[in-house]
Amino acid sequence: MGVRDALAHLAGGAVAPVFAVAGGGAREAVAELALSPSVELVDSPAAASVLLVAGFLPSDLHTPLAALHDAMPDPRCTVSWPLGSDHGSMPLSSSRLRIGPDDEPVQAVTRAYRALLSGVVATEPPIQPDVDPNPWRGVGPYGQGGRGMTGGTPYGRPMAELGPDRDGLRLDVLPLSIGPFFPRFPAGLILDVVMAGDLVIEGRVADSPFGGGEWRPPVGPFVRALSEPVPVAEIELARARQHLRWASDALITQGLPAFAMRVRRLAVTLTPGHASSVRALSRRLRLLRVPQWSGAGVGRIAPELLTGLALGPVSRAAGLGEDARAADPAYAELGFEPIVARDGDAAARWDVRLAEAAQSLELAARARGQRTGGVGIVEGPRGRLGPDDSPFQRLQSLLPDLLAGLEWGDAVTALASLDLDPEEAGTVAARPSRAEAA
Amino acid sequence: MDYASPPIALIAVGLAMAAGVYLIAVLDRSIAVLVGAGRWTWRGAIVGPIRSAALLLVQRRRTTERPDSPGWTLAPALLTGLAAVALAMVPIGPDMAAADPSTGFVVFSAAIVFVMIAVFLHGWSPNSALAMHGAYRFGAQALSFQIPFLLAMLATALPAESLSIVDIVDAQEPLWNVVRQPLGLPLYLVVGVAVSFWGPLNLPDASDLAGGTSVEDSGVARLLWKSARAAMLVAVAAMGAAGFLGGWWGPWLPGPVWMVIKAVALLTLLLVAGHLLPRVRIQRFVVIAWVILIPLALVNIFVSGALLL
Amino acid sequence: MLGPMGVTLAVFVGSLVVVLGLWMTGRDPRPRSAPESVPFIGGRPPAVHAWSRYHARYHVMALVFLAFDMEMVYMYPWAVVFVREGPIAMVEMGMFITILLLGILYAWREQVFEWA
Repeated sequence: MGVRDALAHLAGGAVAPVFAVAGGGAREAVAELALSPSVELVDSPAAASVLLVAGFLPSDLHTPLAALHDAMPDPRCTVSWPLGSDHGSMPLSSSRLRIGPDDEPVQAVTRAYRALLSGVVATEPPIQPDVDPNPWRGVGPYGQGGRGMTGGTPYGRPMAELGPDRDGLRLDVLPLSIGPFFPRFPAGLILDVVMAGDLVIEGRVADSPFGGGEWRPPVGPFVRALSEPVPVAEIELARARQHLRWASDALITQGLPAFAMRVRRLAVTLTPGHASSVRALSRRLRLLRVPQWSGAGVGRIAPELLTGLALGPVSRAAGLGEDARAADPAYAELGFEPIVARDGDAAARWDVRLAEAAQSLELAARARGQRTGGVGIVEGPRGRLGPDDSPFQRLQSLLPDLLAGLEWGDAVTALASLDLDPEEAGTVAARPSRAEAA
Repeated sequence: MDYASPPIALIAVGLAMAAGVYLIAVLDRSIAVLVGAGRWTWRGAIVGPIRSAALLLVQRRRTTERPDSPGWTLAPALLTGLAAVALAMVPIGPDMAAADPSTGFVVFSAAIVFVMIAVFLHGWSPNSALAMHGAYRFGAQALSFQIPFLLAMLATALPAESLSIVDIVDAQEPLWNVVRQPLGLPLYLVVGVAVSFWGPLNLPDASDLAGGTSVEDSGVARLLWKSARAAMLVAVAAMGAAGFLGGWWGPWLPGPVWMVIKAVALLTLLLVAGHLLPRVRIQRFVVIAWVILIPLALVNIFVSGALLL
Repeated sequence: MLGPMGVTLAVFVGSLVVVLGLWMTGRDPRPRSAPESVPFIGGRPPAVHAWSRYHARYHVMALVFLAFDMEMVYMYPWAVVFVREGPIAMVEMGMFITILLLGILYAWREQVFEWA
């Protein structure tokens, strides 16, 4: 049809709506992709035309990925971006639409999108077989009648059942398994909640799928510092960058996607001279009430529960001054003091992370070739990285008590403020010391 | 003549809504690019929205396993219809309104109130957990903003001694309402943002619900819902210009031009606020609406009433 | 003959028809398949249908809203005759409003608005 072709031609020049799955080792690259004006990262697959699969995805996540692909509307295509992983192991990888190490990612994605819209690349058929989970349809015109209605599974799924409620009014509860590709959580984070209305009755974060040992993650400065001295300037710059990336993701969670791009641009071009910019950013966010409106009183964890867990900014925001850098003579030379806040809620974690980012940049600027000392224990951006565990695994046990009774928006804010990272479980599993011991 | 003939009214309201929706798309993109420290281009800002609309028209419209199809179909149509009714109440010049009943204010408020039904239908119909959650959240938001909305606008009817919008604008000839009722416009803007669930009060379509009531929308359904939301924002801004900023009154330029300038100014203010202010928690908004906004609106009414006597 | 309300109704119905017509252009010849219709909660299929007896915790706040809605019904004509009636109108409405405001104060103390 002429009209449809004309519209498709017009649409070929639009901003490409991409649902990005940032697997192992790909979060930074995908975040940088979002800065381009010709690509837009969307929140749900129904809004997307391109599924970008980047980095490593463990085999547990291949089925949800296929479900994600099928949830996209026609015309749709998949672009795979291995980023150091083996191409053959990438799910949904086609020979045409892939981003190699020499390709410019934004151009490759927009080229794929344009090819899709102009018909050069055909729209992909659904991957999963067209099988109704339960073909039961009832007898009457609205699905009523027949056997198996009450307590059965109409239209493929059972109906919700009654559950306990703190108000004493027993109504239906919805058990939801949010993730692994929920856009506000890092890929691989699965949140199993039971919701009564908009309150979380019970919530739990499942074990990280990256911990199975399938993945050889790239070694960053923090993991390197476990076995050898690393220049303080390098490690502090990486820490500041991580905190700013967290701030950018948290701003999207709070409904400020445009401001998040500004923070992300700063994170990408960060140098030790930007300490004053980071402080100005922190002041501006306070002025715009970002930490206060979203996080004041939300997600508070008592300091008694956090003692000894060394969870980095989360512990320090609750008043515990635990920081592995304080025991390091190189940092003592540079005049390092841990930044501690009092409240322990999400707003305090905002303040601590941004203040630490500014402090890291100042340390990096002041450093004259000092190297980190403590081999075996490193203060990562999310907490102490030890030989055997990661902050994500230590934090998991605290989450059920934190999430119970929170309204949904507060639960997402609380989880975002904890900066969970399932990939850390993978870096633990792949640690050279563990591999040798195993 | 207190109403235009139906074809003229339909065309005028339709053109105003289409122009307003396109303007919102252009302004929103431009403000997002400026706030995000990106590079603003003519093509991106002016042609970009048209291209994105073309993409949504080409995309297939999805469905879910067991949706309420009539409700899902009706939701964007209802929201657009309500925005059209609200916009039809706003006069663009002296005695130039698509419809000017003697109770125009009540009709406008009725259109605002039914927005809750449209958004709830939109979220409940797909039978999807995240969408339904957005719908119920808007229920709490809508019940909370409606009384402050009505009270904030009611103060403008006091000097006019009438509920007709044309009379309300006429009564502002000596002095605009924003000057003699200073609390009125800020209150109206806050609840106006709540009505059109934009920016800091975008709770039903929130990013922490992966798109909320729009999570299962694709293709023309997504385009129609976005346009309907933008049309509602246009109506809110236009009524704010008429009720608080003096409507068509102003020196040198003809009335309709002033009306457009004032409405666009309010629209820009709301869009900028949408990109700078974070989303408010629903519990916080409910408390603020009942405990702070309602008493402030009542103070506004009684103080301006006392000054009139 | 039509009157302003008739024109308003015509505008409402007209825009409804236009939007429904645009919606119809999205009709697709290919029937939906099962995997393409699964609701999205992150990639995993939902365990139960979303339609359920949802605990809308703001039901008590809705009752307070009803009371204030009835008050708004009285305030519409009051605003029109206010200047004509003089200070007695303000005093009477002030008494009415004060009683309702006491209701809000009570509801606030009973934590009806959170979690509301």
